[in-house]
Amino acid sequence: MDWNLILFITKWATIGLFYAVLLLLLFGVYREMSQNPHKVTPVKPVPNGRLRVISAGDDGHLRQGSVLDISADNRLGADKDNDILLRDSYVSRRHARLRWDRANWWVEDLNSKNGTMVDRHRCTPGVPYPLTVGSILSIGDMSFELIDQDTGYADGASKTGCLTTGGRHSPDLDWVLCPGRLFFG
Amino acid sequence: MEGIALILIGFFALVAFFSANAGMQVRQGLNPLTGLPGALLPPLLVMMVFAVFHYLLRALKLRSEQILFPVVCLLLIVGLVMIWRLRGPEGIWQQILRGLFPGLLAAAFLVAQPVWIERIRRRAVPIGILGLGLLILTGIFGSVDETGARLALKIGPLPAIQTSEPLKLILIIFLAWFIARQSKAAESRTSILFGRLRLPALGHLFLGVLSAGLAALSLVLMSDYGAVLILGCISITMLYAGFETRTFLDIIAIGLIMSLVMGLVLSVTWKIPAVIQYRFQAYQNPWSQEMMMVDGRSTGVTIAEGPGYQVQQAIYAVIAGGISGSGLGFGSPNYVPLAHSDFILAAVVEELGAGIGVAVLFLFAVLLLRIFRPIFRLPPGRVFDRLLLVGIGIHLFTQVFVMAGGTLNLLPVTGVTVPFLSLGGTALLTNLVEVGLVLALIRRQEDTNDHV
Repeated sequence: MDWNLILFITKWATIGLFYAVLLLLLFGVYREMSQNPHKVTPVKPVPNGRLRVISAGDDGHLRQGSVLDISADNRLGADKDNDILLRDSYVSRRHARLRWDRANWWVEDLNSKNGTMVDRHRCTPGVPYPLTVGSILSIGDMSFELIDQDTGYADGASKTGCLTTGGRHSPDLDWVLCPGRLFFG
Repeated sequence: MEGIALILIGFFALVAFFSANAGMQVRQGLNPLTGLPGALLPPLLVMMVFAVFHYLLRALKLRSEQILFPVVCLLLIVGLVMIWRLRGPEGIWQQILRGLFPGLLAAAFLVAQPVWIERIRRRAVPIGILGLGLLILTGIFGSVDETGARLALKIGPLPAIQTSEPLKLILIIFLAWFIARQSKAAESRTSILFGRLRLPALGHLFLGVLSAGLAALSLVLMSDYGAVLILGCISITMLYAGFETRTFLDIIAIGLIMSLVMGLVLSVTWKIPAVIQYRFQAYQNPWSQEMMMVDGRSTGVTIAEGPGYQVQQAIYAVIAGGISGSGLGFGSPNYVPLAHSDFILAAVVEELGAGIGVAVLFLFAVLLLRIFRPIFRLPPGRVFDRLLLVGIGIHLFTQVFVMAGGTLNLLPVTGVTVPFLSLGGTALLTNLVEVGLVLALIRRQEDTNDHV
């Protein structure tokens, strides 16, 4: 037997098999990434979303875990003429506006006293800020999670709240830029 | 997916062990088939254990993670081939019996009983105290190795334990618990200085001082710079990840505080240690004919003969390997000191080639991403789990980074083991337990997703 040839073959077979496993695993990663739920919400003409109460503050009328229906344009605040009445003592009378522009949810702070936060980012008054499914909206002492109307819960991928609809950077990069949001989002 | 990958890995293991055995026998002028059963027994046994673990994962319906375990298996096989090549049957059986089997057993236990993560979290304080005790015991009773580091603890007839390895995992668990406990309370307590620089809250500051103190303590007790480097990297990354940070200024502030504490401790107890002095000289030029200097005095040994030798040999090994390597059994990685443990990457590159060397680093990158992936999928509020994943990922990453850099003289040499490749029972055991923790977290997350 020509052992030189056999050893030559086994050497390249070792390398080839190693790369075969590597490519198989990379293919697995690729396949998983291509069916990843990290997708920009498709345009839906009807408003799609509800608010789940995470913390009700000192509003005795809301219960933690209950779900609020929202329409395409909502005004939130402590006054009775608001669409969504929040009786927490840190909520201003006209606090914020939450609306659907046929593609995304936007929240706009209406010059409230204690501010509006999305995923712990304070919104500049008067400037709409995008909300995605899974975003946490904090108003006064109260906080809400935007959930999907159909499935009833925020999908796992966007629960970190780092996925903004602006798409400026990918969520995979986002944790480098704002690691704190990974943990408190 | 996992099954197909494991079958391919099995073929890879058999071919690699066969060619390593044949190469070594041919080199000694013997029949290439001599000793073949002894060479094929370890891979067959290990592949059987991998298959059992794979069926366990399938039985437990761990669907969403099909990549992590094959990656670990492939790295383990590469490491085992190189250890068998360099240290013979004695080395490989030590690695399998003291590291691989107990490690996979512990990992299997954790995956089967993910509740234990919760139990570990609740017992973080006793675990931390245990780690501190181990550290002090090793510092006092530990055996000293050739570089003057006290790392191993030998209790009675048991094999020696490298205490610094489980210590890293214990630090990860403890820090994860502590930061998770602090996080809720500390959010609103950051104070603002000069408008931009937001100083961490007192609890975090204390934590930075604590981990820096721990690293300094292990430096004093163990004189092991590799362990200190890794402990420092783990704690600084976990603190960074655990903060509500928006700017890098915060992490710079923590880093400054930590280095200040380290500097204070060192200035009281020590000068710059001799090991670091001459390793840095070797880093600047391993071939230098200048004298090796310690505290400004010549030691009478040139750098090229002294600390530079290992780096030179590692670089020669990498060059000798080329793209496709010398073939298993045909290289001379034995010239590199510690080729079986710290410098195993040099041995891999020499015998299997730079092609596989790069692929191994690629595998580590995939592994790191797979460890970080569940962070994005965990429901909010699981701060401990997230930090655990961050700590484990960074632990593995730092080891590879330091050794890959050290082998090519891109970084000063620091002795740490390469995860899953190097010979070292306790190190492998720790790394496999970490893999088990990651898999257990993924399984627990899958369960909660089902129940929503």
